[in-house]
Amino acid sequence: MTTLHILNSSPANTAQLKSCLRVLSVGDGIVLTGEAVQALRAGSAAVQKLSACEHAYRLYALQEDVQARAIDTAEMPVTLLDYPAFVALCVEYARVNSWT
Amino acid sequence: MAQSVLLISRQAPWAGIAAAEALDIALAAGAFDLPLSMLFMDDGVFQLLAQQQPQILEQKDLSANLQALPMFGIEQLYVAQQCLSERGLADSSLAIEAERLDDLQIQQLIRQFDHVITL
Repeated sequence: MTTLHILNSSPANTAQLKSCLRVLSVGDGIVLTGEAVQALRAGSAAVQKLSACEHAYRLYALQEDVQARAIDTAEMPVTLLDYPAFVALCVEYARVNSWT
Repeated sequence: MAQSVLLISRQAPWAGIAAAEALDIALAAGAFDLPLSMLFMDDGVFQLLAQQQPQILEQKDLSANLQALPMFGIEQLYVAQQCLSERGLADSSLAIEAERLDDLQIQQLIRQFDHVITL
């Protein structure tokens, strides 16, 4: 009965990531899309927040949003998705929570 | 059997139309007897603040819509305790009755629903 949380805004600008991590259940998934992929940038405050509870969730990000922003995810435990994989992932979880 | 919905409202009533739209969803769901519960978190908790005067900003007063929720059968209202505390509202009386939940209770709440809508 896990939830897939889809985030779309910059962790430096909004409380989306912070609030999501707060109400996340163990086994949930997080998909970073759009500006939310900034949370993967090495050395950022957001990446520390993510790492602090990385045992609790599975982390995914849209590959094109990561590449467009020149973010190196080699050191991050993140699975990069294309759109077909994103769709497949959405149906794997019991519910989807699309944060706005 | 109708699918249950948890509506999470995260925006202040003065910050655009998201708060009003969330309430519209709740009232519409209530009118059709859909099982919907509502959770106020982040700046959404400001919607519950008593004695607001949005007409000064030429905005609609949402409190009438809020009061209508129970009449439309939307009786499960929750608010994030920590979000109230962070905003200095821990001890404030709210414009409408809502159960105060800690983070762990919110985690459990989300798992009880078929669908989640966050606005």
